Amino acid sequence: MRILGLLAALAALIALPFFTTGYIIYVANLLLTFTVLCLGMHIVIGEAGQFSLAQAAFYGIGIYTSGLAGNAFGWPFPLSILAAGLVAGLVGLGIGMIALRMRDIYLALATFAFGEAMQWVFLNWTSVTGGPNGLRIAPAGLFGFEIVTDKQAYPVVLALTVLMIGLTVVISRSRLGRAFRAVRESEIAALAMGVPVRTTKLAAFALSAFFAGVAGAMFAIFSTFIHPDSLGFQTTILVLTMAVVGGLGSIAGAVGGAVVFGLISELLRQAPSYQEIIYGLILIVFMMFAPRGLFAFAGENLRRLTRA
Amino acid sequence: MDFELILLFLQQGIASGLVVGSVYALLALAIVIIFKTSEVPNFAQGEMLMAAGYVALYLLVFRMVPAWAAIPMTVVVAFAAAALFRRVVLTQVARASGSPVNLVIATLGLSYVLKGLVRQTGFGDTPRSFPSLVSTESVMIGQASVTKLDLTILGTAVVVMAAFFWMFGYTKLGRAMRAVGMNPKAAQLVGVDLNRIHVIVWGLSGAISAVAALLIAPKLLMTADMGSVVTLGFAAAIIGGFASLPGAIVGGFIIGIVENLVGLFVSSRAIVVAPFLAIMLVLILRPQGLFGGRVMIKKV
Repeated sequence: MRILGLLAALAALIALPFFTTGYIIYVANLLLTFTVLCLGMHIVIGEAGQFSLAQAAFYGIGIYTSGLAGNAFGWPFPLSILAAGLVAGLVGLGIGMIALRMRDIYLALATFAFGEAMQWVFLNWTSVTGGPNGLRIAPAGLFGFEIVTDKQAYPVVLALTVLMIGLTVVISRSRLGRAFRAVRESEIAALAMGVPVRTTKLAAFALSAFFAGVAGAMFAIFSTFIHPDSLGFQTTILVLTMAVVGGLGSIAGAVGGAVVFGLISELLRQAPSYQEIIYGLILIVFMMFAPRGLFAFAGENLRRLTRA
Repeated sequence: MDFELILLFLQQGIASGLVVGSVYALLALAIVIIFKTSEVPNFAQGEMLMAAGYVALYLLVFRMVPAWAAIPMTVVVAFAAAALFRRVVLTQVARASGSPVNLVIATLGLSYVLKGLVRQTGFGDTPRSFPSLVSTESVMIGQASVTKLDLTILGTAVVVMAAFFWMFGYTKLGRAMRAVGMNPKAAQLVGVDLNRIHVIVWGLSGAISAVAALLIAPKLLMTADMGSVVTLGFAAAIIGGFASLPGAIVGGFIIGIVENLVGLFVSSRAIVVAPFLAIMLVLILRPQGLFGGRVMIKKV
């Protein structure tokens, strides 16, 4: 059943460009990008129970790395995607190594401050990022073929998303994934079982940065322009809200949350002044009444209703 | 740059640094008392400050309430609102899952709700200036020029800190708070009501933020984003070791002075990255903070 459902969803996604227009495809690209960002958040918070608040900064590093690799050196896009992921992952590794030496919570605080600092860098390193004027991203290319429209980008973005979902599943089922959850549940118990706690936390954080970097490169494939304003704390909160709505700790939740809440936030664009209140209320209300997310919450209540 | 100028900049930087630093110290204190008693870094602390600032602005400017009434009213409102949030929201969050990560997410939610609400009321749409309640006449200390307002800020902050330390060190309530900070279970066993302490700590933290807001608001333009000043409070708390109250105070003054010296000697544009660099430097050189002893390993 589950496999059939997944195949049906995939078939629908592959068929999408044949039935719809440019804007829908643009939104689909954006939602898929957010799905990968959300998977990164899922790994660090949902799986390993560590707090990273710099998802937007790593996303930005990914966008600028792949954008510049394409603009300045004309790298083929598979190479710039890999570069984006690796650069973001390595920066994450560096910060994690310093921040995870003491209290867990220092990672949250250090990444919070890092996010602010990176947005400042994006705004002020004019010679590289274009600063407040933003950066025009050259079309991604491979062997002379150029991706110009959203529709041309869509298959690449979709394939990458599927690849990253697959990677998340593999990680989650591997020894490393089990170590993540052991650390989340009890560090001391994990340590007693021989799990290297610090390395595990570091791996989770660096992987989440890698995912955010890849998401950035995905954005650079279908988008032609990036401005530092969209790489602030707001975006980190958006991704966090997606993960919370879908349910922290489940891959299906991360994907579902990104899609459902991504659509909601795209609709909320019409009413930007309510955005903050709505994001905030969602975070609070979900933490109060549905800490395991929308899908688990709905499932539990359905079961209760059918039983009654 | 010749020697005289360096000397002048140093004096000015330290004088102005002590003034803003005292406000960062208050913020750090507000952050640390919550963290010490519940292991939760309150990411809404900056927005609590911002919201309290707007309450004061509303009372003073739009309602013409005299300062002697408006100031205590603001502090009381901040105390009540913060205590209410702890009592109603966080109690339920803790009941629903108990994971500290969820409590932190709820505080992030609060920060966004407060920001959005202030924007909705219409006061937060344009930058506003907060009326200065004390004259901004300048006074020379050595070669540094500070205003009477600056001296009032520093003086008030020090008095509030002293009052807090007295409460924390010498009253029954303070002892209960310290007990909860050391070992919540043991505190409960000897008859401390954990819920009551948490609610009071949040209330106090809100009240301290309100005082910080009243002090810093005349020096800043008021916007719905002014809560970002909390990054400096977090940096101050980390310098102090994050669980030490005297550390938070010293950290606040250090951050204030460093910020001003960077502004004078390097560039005022570099100030934004200063908190991140400060946090990283402390974590590299002295990860336990200046005042943090060894971090104890919890037993299962």
